[in-house]
Amino acid sequence: MTLPAIVTSARTLGYYTRLQEVTANNLANVASDAFKGDRITAQSLAGESAPTAVHTLDLRQGTLRDTTRPLDVGLSGEGFLVVRTPQGERFIRGGSLEVSRDGFLIDRHGDLLLGEDGPLHVAGQEVVFEADGTVLVDGARAGRLRFETVADPSLLRKEGEGRFAALAKTIGASGLQLRQRAIEDANVSPLLGTVDLIMIQRAYAANTEALRTMDGVLGTVTGDIGRV
Amino acid sequence: MNPGMRTSASGMIAQQKMVDVIANNLANVNTTGFKRSRAAFEDVLYETVQGPRSPNGEATINAMQIGHGVRLAAVTRIHGQGGPEMTGRPLDLAIEGEGFFQVETGDGTIAYTRDGSFTLSEAGQLLTQGGYALVPGIVIPPDATVVTIAGNGMVSVSVGRDAQTVELGRIELARFANPTGLLSAGGNLYTESSASGAPMTGLADEGGFGRVLQGALEASNVEVVQEMTDMIAAQRAYEINARAIRAAEDMMRSIDDLIR
Repeated sequence: MTLPAIVTSARTLGYYTRLQEVTANNLANVASDAFKGDRITAQSLAGESAPTAVHTLDLRQGTLRDTTRPLDVGLSGEGFLVVRTPQGERFIRGGSLEVSRDGFLIDRHGDLLLGEDGPLHVAGQEVVFEADGTVLVDGARAGRLRFETVADPSLLRKEGEGRFAALAKTIGASGLQLRQRAIEDANVSPLLGTVDLIMIQRAYAANTEALRTMDGVLGTVTGDIGRV
Repeated sequence: MNPGMRTSASGMIAQQKMVDVIANNLANVNTTGFKRSRAAFEDVLYETVQGPRSPNGEATINAMQIGHGVRLAAVTRIHGQGGPEMTGRPLDLAIEGEGFFQVETGDGTIAYTRDGSFTLSEAGQLLTQGGYALVPGIVIPPDATVVTIAGNGMVSVSVGRDAQTVELGRIELARFANPTGLLSAGGNLYTESSASGAPMTGLADEGGFGRVLQGALEASNVEVVQEMTDMIAAQRAYEINARAIRAAEDMMRSIDDLIR
């Protein structure tokens, strides 16, 4: 025997637990380079009284921070750079790039960055990145980085290490700009995150209180009413 | 157990590491030729806790992914130029531009340094503060009076009563495809690693190698104001993650209170 309200409260608690986990992960990554936060919103579905958690990726722009390091690149606008990983091509939002010992441009996990004509050979004294992704080595054009995206953020899956996998066909990103000697900050607001935490904590407490009340009602029904 | 707690703990650990890196930068603010480091973080594994679904056959709800915190991705050394500090001492050398002095360590391997505060050995060899000889060796004769080191690394001395100028040789520098990949060996020395690539050697002021500046030392490239700002940010981020742990703890307690 259950009261529907008990089930609703319990499922609502589940929703707030998810929300807390996601908020905690956003706040843990407040200093991660080019991190994109996750957002959970409540959606009420027909026939269900408890909120359903809906996940969206928050792709808003993070602040570009100057670092002075020549191989640090940050992106401004919507889109990604492409790296070739053992699992296939993945998206990154720039970061601290390096040069492999054989002179190719790699990310910090050692995977090759892809230009329009494949990996970029950048062995030289000075590497210049132009806003449109053109890479110049000692003044000579070495190639142009691929700027890509997908039609909708829901077609991206985060893989950790600042990487995204595209679940659908990728398209060229227009309106994306690259900035050298800069890194994009995480797009998480510590202030809003903290406010969210307080809100979650209170809502959770309120729902446990509701659960306790329902339990009391059930106790009265089973314990007292039957007695003469 | 709320997994959010472990996530927040990883955030606290990350900020602790950030403070460690900043503390090391600040401690070396007056170290000759020191290059500051920057801690870079990245998100870790994501767990898909709920696949995409369409509850009533219409609108699809996205898959839900929950991340499990943060980790230190790299401590990147920023090889930016430090300002030259004029000392006036003839054997103090600063490199303006790319390149490292090559020195021979105790076990015969070559190490690399930007710290050009050289001294002379008994035999007249140029030695670093740590007592390692500059490679290729330049021996200053005992009767030399004035030592001049030009921008292109040419070491010349005045010898004898008539102050005759004798050229002894040029200082050779080493450069790397990826200087960030060099390993710090302590004592202002770096060693080659698989990430840095093999050294390319050449003469100073030629083919992209830096100029040698006599009578100056390269200061560290640490900027105290920037380090302090980073430290404040790290401290606040640490607190916020601690706050998230408290929130998770509080949620668990309210569930705990249900059962009496």
